Amino acid sequence: MSDDPVAQMLAKVAAQDRSAFRDLYSNTSSKLFGVLLRILNNRAEAEDALQEVYTRVWLRAGRFDPEKGRAMTWLISVTRNHAIDRLRTKVEATTATEDESDALIDTKPSAEASLIAQGQARRIVDCMSALEPDRARAVQGAYLGGLSYTDLSARFNVPLNTMRTWLRRSLLQLKECMEK
Amino acid sequence: MTAAHDLSPSEETDALAAEYVLGVLALQDRLAAEARIKSDPSFAKMVSAWENHFEALNDDYEAIPAPNMMDQIESRIFGQQPAAKRSWWGFIAGASAAAALAVAVILALPPAGNVGPTLTASLAAETQELAFNATYTNGELTLARVSGTSAQPGSDYELWLIVGDAAPVSLGVIQDATTTRPLAELAPGSVLAISLENTGGSTTGAPAEVLLVGEVSQT
Repeated sequence: MSDDPVAQMLAKVAAQDRSAFRDLYSNTSSKLFGVLLRILNNRAEAEDALQEVYTRVWLRAGRFDPEKGRAMTWLISVTRNHAIDRLRTKVEATTATEDESDALIDTKPSAEASLIAQGQARRIVDCMSALEPDRARAVQGAYLGGLSYTDLSARFNVPLNTMRTWLRRSLLQLKECMEK
Repeated sequence: MTAAHDLSPSEETDALAAEYVLGVLALQDRLAAEARIKSDPSFAKMVSAWENHFEALNDDYEAIPAPNMMDQIESRIFGQQPAAKRSWWGFIAGASAAAALAVAVILALPPAGNVGPTLTASLAAETQELAFNATYTNGELTLARVSGTSAQPGSDYELWLIVGDAAPVSLGVIQDATTTRPLAELAPGSVLAISLENTGGSTTGAPAEVLLVGEVSQT
């Protein structure tokens, strides 16, 4: 993965190199700020969130494994996760949670996960187009805009459980397509 | 493939990993999924596989020049200033009389594979809606606001660490719903507290108005 310059910067950050940390910020903050603005839709919040994101990046850089993916993908995951946590925390102040018990279902270690090859990400574009248009839009809206099940069920005007059932089926269908 | 309502257990788990990555879960389910990532390597692998599956969608995020926030970021990471000497327990006594503080309901999280033990604290008070959960593992303290709102304009929450009878040490201003700070050590029995300060945090080195207190314990 020596052709991934961001991964090289991250490796130095993991070794507590502060000047590499500044380089990383110069090279990646625009993209991450774009992610935060899209999901949070508020500039002041996005600026706060950006500080938190880079704090986490400094602390967790050592956990990035170039064998498992690209550094930019990892950074965007850290960013999206924080942005979505912020959104959900805010909403929960006013909305009751719908408690889904499957979060704690016990599982056997999955052989499938290890079968998922690298470099198949591009396939998602093709596989999304194989989904019904509504469902593809729901997946995309959730991923890019941070929509929750509650948001999606309002937007597509279907009950929350129905939305969940068809989104989950779409996700598994996507996966099946991507692993062909 | 599978009938609509009957996913096999492994499909259920995989769908949950996808839902987590997609971001559609409600807060409670998200927090459960995050805990599971730390404790269940096979689940963590599924999550990372889904992150890679969705990678190409990241191209749709437009890059937008960010202000230079390196100074603020570095002060979060490196700038921890010790508090002025003043008796912390005086504050707690005062706050208790006024506000009937409820201290420390401890959440049990399973310790992660090969990292150190996980410590937790719940910062809450009977008289307010505001509450935070704190989790400490592997040199990293994460604070999540589980109820209540962010501080009013003109004010900020600030996080404090109190070890034994020592003066409280500021761990910085808390503006985000979830905040992560580096912390070299944290011992069970220490106390974490949240105070209400003017914007920017305490200028005296000591907390102004203590809102929440929680004792750190090992799970």
